Amino acid sequence: MSLPAERQAGKTGSVLSRLPQISYKRQLAIMLAPYVLGLLGLVLLPALLSIPFAFTDYNALRAPEWIGLRNFSEMLGDWLFWNGLGASMFYIVLAIPLRVLGAVFLAFLLHKPTVSNKINRVIAYLPTLIPDVAYALLWLYIFNPLYGPLNWILRLLGAEPESWLLEPWPAKFAIVIMMLWPIGEGFVLMLAAFHQVPHELNEAGQVDGASGRQRFLHITLPLLAPAILLLLFRDTVLSFQANFVPGLITTLGGPYHATRFLPIYIWQNAAEYQRFGYAAAMTWVMYGITASIIALQFVVIRRWRSLFYD
Amino acid sequence: MIREWDSERYLEPQTDQDISEGLNRLERDAGRVGHVVFSLLVAVLFLLPLIWMLGASVRKVGLPPPNQLEWIPNPIELSNYARIFELLPLGSYTLNSLKVVLVAVPLTIITASWAGFAMSQIAPRPRTWLIVASLVALMVPVTALWLTRFLIYKWIGVLDSLWALILPSFMGTSPLFVLLFYWTFSRIPGELYESARLDGAGALRIWGQIAMPLSRASIVAVGVLAFVFFWSNFIDPVLYLNQQQNYTLPMGLQSLQQMQPTNFPLLIAGAVVITVPVIIMFMFAQRFFLQETRGAGWLGR
Repeated sequence: MSLPAERQAGKTGSVLSRLPQISYKRQLAIMLAPYVLGLLGLVLLPALLSIPFAFTDYNALRAPEWIGLRNFSEMLGDWLFWNGLGASMFYIVLAIPLRVLGAVFLAFLLHKPTVSNKINRVIAYLPTLIPDVAYALLWLYIFNPLYGPLNWILRLLGAEPESWLLEPWPAKFAIVIMMLWPIGEGFVLMLAAFHQVPHELNEAGQVDGASGRQRFLHITLPLLAPAILLLLFRDTVLSFQANFVPGLITTLGGPYHATRFLPIYIWQNAAEYQRFGYAAAMTWVMYGITASIIALQFVVIRRWRSLFYD
Repeated sequence: MIREWDSERYLEPQTDQDISEGLNRLERDAGRVGHVVFSLLVAVLFLLPLIWMLGASVRKVGLPPPNQLEWIPNPIELSNYARIFELLPLGSYTLNSLKVVLVAVPLTIITASWAGFAMSQIAPRPRTWLIVASLVALMVPVTALWLTRFLIYKWIGVLDSLWALILPSFMGTSPLFVLLFYWTFSRIPGELYESARLDGAGALRIWGQIAMPLSRASIVAVGVLAFVFFWSNFIDPVLYLNQQQNYTLPMGLQSLQQMQPTNFPLLIAGAVVITVPVIIMFMFAQRFFLQETRGAGWLGR
């Protein structure tokens, strides 16, 4: 019964259905093809290919030369590598928890659909929209000791003005500070997570006499754990690129290499010194470290959540 | 009767329970006041960078540093904006940025939604594989791709052309976009697809006439995110473009910084020029993005 109907529709339907008949499965395969090809050709294969490069000496002029583990042993004695790793770890340890907390706080504050909350949601997202380069230049101005407004704010608050980008530690903190504003994507994710928390649970908590704070800490927050975990993962992986443009434009890796984050050092090795093998080796070491941080976050959040469930 | 009994209870606490309930009420009221205060604080805090940005962009070039916190510069110098277009061929950079966005954003929406649609329709086993592959791809650091992508681009001959920037849109730009469409499409009741198939509709028609019209929020969200990505993209042009005639706006802004490293009024005016289109786009889309009461439509249920 369905066959004649199908044939008839084929005759009378739109241009699309008059195309040569191919099976539904094939049509799906065609729609999927660009993505699968791109995923393999532009992401997964290039990533895999960069692994063998880590064991070579390669400068793009002559063929790569296999040098075994020499790139890795060089890394051990390369203080700029350790300096970059330290700077990146400083950023990860300080900026990422603050950014995630900020996103959770914003979502908690603005999750009810009142008019003022709706306006505030847009405002909270605005800094995220500023393109990387523009954002880096903006903070170059804000941190400027002579022209920038930040030191005037510090004076108003009775604090000492800083020379921000001219000294190593203030510069490290400066990069963390400027990355506390563009947290809109995490905020949207948490907002969605908030809306998924079932009302019934909160109402049950209310009936049992739990206060707002208790309900948040013991009902809502544990239910948000998967979203928080996702956000932590994402921010950790993205930390490879998040502070890259600021480090490149706002501080130029300085002063005294204080903000020469590992991705920037890798970039310099690849783009400036043409040491692609060494750059690839460092990339994979960095990736190994990131993967362990992510595993650690996973364990910690699971433990914390199991205090309330299981 | 009950009411009278209630009011008496709250007027004079007699037991521990009364006190704790009173405290709860107090906490609720404090919470409301706290909410107003915090909301205002958040609004001011997140507007600050933008206010400073606008202010700095119209400060007269060469004016000495302010001797107090300056909100609105005096005089207001709008000619800064004209000046940066004289210093650099920003018009042609803007055109290049527009070309990239006009090709890449629609292409992203089509390829990402095709892939997401197909993923929602294929057998569970290959689907699981695709989801896993997409998540793995999301975890690959960009630094790991710089070198090999450069070699691939050189090999297929797109180096030093705008195609090098557009190319990722052929695969939906980011696995995240594909997954977003997959989640959206898999929430559409399967019976809708089935009945269309019984009517003889092919995959493309079901995608175009059933799946897409029901997924407006996701289309807008992916469109805006893709626009922001391609418009702001800085690392890719630095890596793959050499000739100045191909520069996009972010590259132009960097050249401006190299020409006038501490000329903040001009630098920030450039920053405003590149930011405004993104904010305008976002204002049209924010409804789908931030205000879905039934649960931020494009991310979850």
